[in-house]
Amino acid sequence: MSIRFENVYKSFGPKKILDGVSFEVKKGQVLFILGKSGMGKSVTLKHIIGVLEPDAGKIFVDHFEVSSLFTEAGRELLPKVRQRCGMVFQHPALLDSLSNFENIAFGLRTPQYREKIGKTLTEAEIEATVLEKLRLVHLDPEILPLFPYEVSYGVQKRVSMARTLAPGPDYLLFDEPTTGLDPLSTSSINELISELSRKLKVTSIIVSHDMACALSIADQILFLDQGKVLLMAPPKIVVKSEIPLVKEFFEETLSLLPPNWSLE
Amino acid sequence: MNELLKKGFEKSIDPVMDVLHEFGGAWIFLGKVIKTFRRTSGYRKAIIQQVAEVSTRTISTVIFAGIFVGAILVLQFDTMLRRFDAEALLGGLNTSATIREVGPLIISFLLAGKVGAYTTAELANMRVTEQIDAIESLGTDPIQYLIIPRFFGVVLSSVVLLAIGLSVSVVGAILVAQSFGGINIYQYIASIPRFAGAWTLFEGLVRSTIFSTIVATVSTFKGYTASGGARGVGKAVTQSAIYINIYIVLGNFISSSLLEWIHDLTYFVIGVFERIFL
Amino acid sequence: MNLKENYKRQLETFLLAIDLLRQLFRQASKGPHRKMEIVSAIEGIGIGSLPIISIATGFTGLVMTSEIAWHMDFALSNVSMIPGFTGQFVLRELGIAVPAMLIVSKVGASMTAELASMKITEQLDAFKLLKIDVVSYHIFPRWVACILSTVCLTLISITITLLIAMFTAVTKYHFNSQEYLNTLAQFITSMDLICAITKASIFGMIIPPISCAFGLLCKGGAQGVGQATTDAVVTATLAVITLDFILTAIFSALL
Repeated sequence: MSIRFENVYKSFGPKKILDGVSFEVKKGQVLFILGKSGMGKSVTLKHIIGVLEPDAGKIFVDHFEVSSLFTEAGRELLPKVRQRCGMVFQHPALLDSLSNFENIAFGLRTPQYREKIGKTLTEAEIEATVLEKLRLVHLDPEILPLFPYEVSYGVQKRVSMARTLAPGPDYLLFDEPTTGLDPLSTSSINELISELSRKLKVTSIIVSHDMACALSIADQILFLDQGKVLLMAPPKIVVKSEIPLVKEFFEETLSLLPPNWSLE
Repeated sequence: MNELLKKGFEKSIDPVMDVLHEFGGAWIFLGKVIKTFRRTSGYRKAIIQQVAEVSTRTISTVIFAGIFVGAILVLQFDTMLRRFDAEALLGGLNTSATIREVGPLIISFLLAGKVGAYTTAELANMRVTEQIDAIESLGTDPIQYLIIPRFFGVVLSSVVLLAIGLSVSVVGAILVAQSFGGINIYQYIASIPRFAGAWTLFEGLVRSTIFSTIVATVSTFKGYTASGGARGVGKAVTQSAIYINIYIVLGNFISSSLLEWIHDLTYFVIGVFERIFL
Repeated sequence: MNLKENYKRQLETFLLAIDLLRQLFRQASKGPHRKMEIVSAIEGIGIGSLPIISIATGFTGLVMTSEIAWHMDFALSNVSMIPGFTGQFVLRELGIAVPAMLIVSKVGASMTAELASMKITEQLDAFKLLKIDVVSYHIFPRWVACILSTVCLTLISITITLLIAMFTAVTKYHFNSQEYLNTLAQFITSMDLICAITKASIFGMIIPPISCAFGLLCKGGAQGVGQATTDAVVTATLAVITLDFILTAIFSALL
């Protein structure tokens, strides 16, 4: 039970985004992917759920080889892979035409979910699941009948997380979950992420710029630069790393932290 | 020198390649939509909802434009026919031209904006705010969930709207003929059957179907493949409008050549039958 | 409620379009004329649209003129009216309306999209801070270029369509090209040409203010840009159709 990349290459036109990336995330681990903007962090996530096709290399999610599913026959299997992965996008990406309730319930009404649990959920069961997920993200049931554009951006983000959690994914993928939020919302979203990953014991991959969050909840930190894996190690080792870019990244963060701060 | 020539050639061939690329992409997309539609089922409700939405949003514009198209043509043909002392033909010529040619063309130009650009804007916005990716990541095929209802909704409602627009423009022409001086309304109506018959209606319908399919294909294709933030949405909408117009003009040419051929063939076959049986 | 807001917004846009037109006319009479910007705008608007418009009107002309000829042949069994009739129809209506519609979606829509994305990425606010007048720097050159280009493109497409009409008549109905041109010259007067140029320049004059007004009043993110562009295309097309009717009525009364 793991997500594994083996020598994955991807370029958009002449621009190389992934240049031989290999790593593995084991069950229950929390992996942070760090790096400068435009270094292929989001692209990595989109490869896992099979939205993008790699130019070369292999990607495994559990026993599925995602990179081989881009054929006619394989396309039938893609929804099954996506069923296992829940992705939280950079934008809330809620469907404008549906209410918050329907947005959260969206994943529960798909044929793939029906197949997974072996029956069709009744409306009451759907409502129960939606309410349960809503509690997980600390939201009031009041917002359910409203439409996404009627609630604040922070609430939209939480609704979007609830939507991702609803079908009970095995893996959680976060794409820059705190970009564009004020510091208060940022810290509450970060708390939520660490809470979720501990409480639900889900394997998570988080793409972020937020160093403090990475140091406190990550099991592994992966640095991407120029499409290559610069370093992949637990936070304790990463902090001591001598690689210039990694050092720069952390010095910037450490200078902002209180002087008596230490890892665990 | 050789390098320079090569560069110049590449630069001049670029726009041509772009157009061909777009054209091919639209065909492939159409194939994908139809294939998915045939493989899956259960769209009736979603399609009916789309038809209702598109029609209610667009109908007032189409009626407005239809009246004016009829009015412009009747005025124009009136002035022209007067010079040739052939006013007796006005009704037939105008009705036939409106239903077969000018009407579908001008009203489709309008639908390119009102229906086509709107659909592109909606889908492109969903694409750049990652809503389409979200649908995909939840295990639903966006082509099934978003594209097929919109595609068939746009096709069906455009055919209906074009039919309404054409009828309105025929009526509009009669109204203008009566109120803007000196056209004998009885003579006008009496001359209609001389030019316009079942074949005219058939031709209008065929053309409307072709144009509607063009609007639906290009608008969903451009919206679905948009990228690059708000600027990308603007670009997708602009391109969708212009490509729909170009394809409509080309479709107009091809369909009229084909229809002329079919017309001749049909009348030939009818003639042969008449010889044999009568 | 929503409907009321919608009408309010349309009214607001309409007033802004008229105000823009007023400002543009004032700048046209008083200057500054920004000749260099106008030249580069013509390159983008006029020359950029030339291939598309000549191809599109060429095909339309081919279809329409053979249609008209077919009608004449079918109903009257008399083809001698073809040159005069097609010539007039092209000069008065077809050669003007079709390029105008194409310019709406090619030039107008991209003006709206450009201004709308400048608005929502706050570039227009930056211009305001730098005391740069968007109307004077950005819209005016494009407006002048649009008028000139529309007139030129209309004349070009009329020429193309007439040549194609002649080609159809010669190949299908066995006209002699000399004879065709002579008949055409008898029926077409300088009034027809004046009519064409007036119509084209008025269309070219109203498309940019409408497009720019929708762009300037754009609200919201990506959705707003799409909405503004769609509305601009539809409104400008309707405006062209309505004005076409009014101008046709005026010209047919004059003749």
